[in-house]
Amino acid sequence: MRLTHRIGAAVAAAALMVAASGCAETESTDSGGSTTGPIKIGAILDITGAGASLGVPERKTLEMLAKQLNEAGGINGRQVELIIEDNQSTEDGAAKAMNEMVSQKVDIVLGASRTGPSLAMRAIAESAQMPMISLAANAAIVKDATWVFKTAQNDAVVLENMIDYAKANGWKTIGLLRDASGFGEGVAETLTELGKPAGISVVRVEKFAPDATDFTAQMINIRNAKADMNIIWGIPPAAALAQKAYRQLGITATVVQSHGIGNQVFLDTAGNSADGLVAPLGRLLVADQLPDSDPQKAVLTKFLADYRATYNESPSTFAGHAYDAFQLAVEAFKAVGTDKQKVRDYLEQVNGFVGITGVYKMTPEDHSGLSKDALVLVTVSGGKWQLLQGR
Amino acid sequence: MTDLFQLLLAGVSIGAVYALIAMGFVVIFTVSEVINLAQGEFAALAGLVAISAAGSGLPLPAAILLAIATVVVVAAVMQRLTIAPVKRMTTLISIILTLGVSTALKAAMLLIWGPEGQGLTPFPGSDFNVFGVSVQAQYLWILGVTAIVAVVVTLFYERTLLGKALRACAEQPTAARLVGISIARASLLSFAIAGFLGSVAGVLSSPIYFSSWDSGLALGLKGFVAATLGGLVSFRGAILGGLLLGVLESLVAGYVDSGLRDAVAFIVLILVLVMRPGGIFRQHTVARV
Repeated sequence: MRLTHRIGAAVAAAALMVAASGCAETESTDSGGSTTGPIKIGAILDITGAGASLGVPERKTLEMLAKQLNEAGGINGRQVELIIEDNQSTEDGAAKAMNEMVSQKVDIVLGASRTGPSLAMRAIAESAQMPMISLAANAAIVKDATWVFKTAQNDAVVLENMIDYAKANGWKTIGLLRDASGFGEGVAETLTELGKPAGISVVRVEKFAPDATDFTAQMINIRNAKADMNIIWGIPPAAALAQKAYRQLGITATVVQSHGIGNQVFLDTAGNSADGLVAPLGRLLVADQLPDSDPQKAVLTKFLADYRATYNESPSTFAGHAYDAFQLAVEAFKAVGTDKQKVRDYLEQVNGFVGITGVYKMTPEDHSGLSKDALVLVTVSGGKWQLLQGR
Repeated sequence: MTDLFQLLLAGVSIGAVYALIAMGFVVIFTVSEVINLAQGEFAALAGLVAISAAGSGLPLPAAILLAIATVVVVAAVMQRLTIAPVKRMTTLISIILTLGVSTALKAAMLLIWGPEGQGLTPFPGSDFNVFGVSVQAQYLWILGVTAIVAVVVTLFYERTLLGKALRACAEQPTAARLVGISIARASLLSFAIAGFLGSVAGVLSSPIYFSSWDSGLALGLKGFVAATLGGLVSFRGAILGGLLLGVLESLVAGYVDSGLRDAVAFIVLILVLVMRPGGIFRQHTVARV
């Protein structure tokens, strides 16, 4: 501890001296614009804890892509060094890891897997001027951000699809059972706002902890609300347990799940209770059912084949979020090197990048870059994802 | 009314699981004044072993027996390696030791089974409806098996010579040794019984509440709160405490706010420790010297 303090003091003193002498060179070293040696990509993921079903496939994806990239010669002749940290699905774990990434002088940080930890990292990224690409969904992660981007579609994009679905069926009332953590924050408000023009309202909101195991109480209240359509907003295993409770209590209204369930773990744990649910999900899960004219089909097919060959299992949509973040970072490094300001500027004007989650068009106002077309409605039948309608 | 019964059923069912864990705390505490913080991990481990065994093709009853046997052995080994060597055991030392074991078990489970929660195949039987209350067959298994185990364990302690010997160790260690009861053997036996209780809780709850490397934490905490309701020394208190806690959680989640569910246990714990530290069902006080 004492040693680090002393080093810290020495660095601070040196920085002061350099600043006083007005040396222009500090600018470029500060922004990490070295042009030799490996490019350092940091990743902070929810590998253990409540977000593990997201973080694990994301880690696998990043490891696979980094290996592929290095075998193909790296970026402009420079190898890529991937540094992965586990935030244990906690906000403080994420903040700690983020500080570590900054002090290790990585060139970009990918992650975290979920909204809460991502928000904890955002403040550090902004103040340290570190480009960051989150893999989580909530729009708050990138709202008014300068240095932070994200690859999962905004919650609003998902909710728009849900409202459209309700509209198409002529439903007017919605019951919502949502995750009590950051992932579910603001869902009811956005839903109310989006539904207003169509006369659709949220009649009941229930919450559950991400590690909840019993949903009887919440489901009884949802059942009594007698809404035309119910939304379960969570990630497995909670989302799967909630789905089971929904069927067990014999609620007959259509249940719509969020994009948080886009993995095999959900299907395995929910079992046959998942049959008939509807969810707006990325194209990855139904890639083989897409028409050949779909612009993402080629990218999706290659990623699926690579991932299956490497890990002998199918990638989840979360793996797709990691793929997009990694490839966006690589595109930026290829185009402008590792100067942090230039990387940030490049990411902000990405237009037409075809990823797994969708086709990205970033703007200074929108650091998410995905519209509602990034999602298709998917249902489950016989334990398999089925494309419900293409757009 | 239907809602109330549905909530009560769900509460009693999870409460029975808490009760089994709570009994595990009591079994060990009464013999050696050790508070075993790895009690919840016994349940998680049993669930995971049963899932793997069933997944590899073993019939469900065999998988369950294997899981229970594994955990009983783990509990006994844990007692031999960490509790037995300590000459002057105090409750504080025991908490530190068992917390270490709990962390080690969690890490091992994470390495072996990975981070994702999974559920054991439900026990045989089909779900049905009574007056609009949906009853899962698994609820009945949980309640039935818990009832049998609770009666057997209570009878064992109150009616058999061996059980009485175990209680004697708790009440008068020196006198117990004078009449030829081995404290070391009693402690080992108490850990084996606690392992059995924890593993039964684990396999019963896994089909509907899922098992994962860290699911023991919540179970252990709730079980501990339930055991405190009985002053950590009473089986009846632990069983009633578990059921009460489960029902209270369910009712609060249903009628007050679902977000408060997990707070219930800790509010109860604080209230009990402040107002009735000897437990809320004080029918027979255990004399300690």
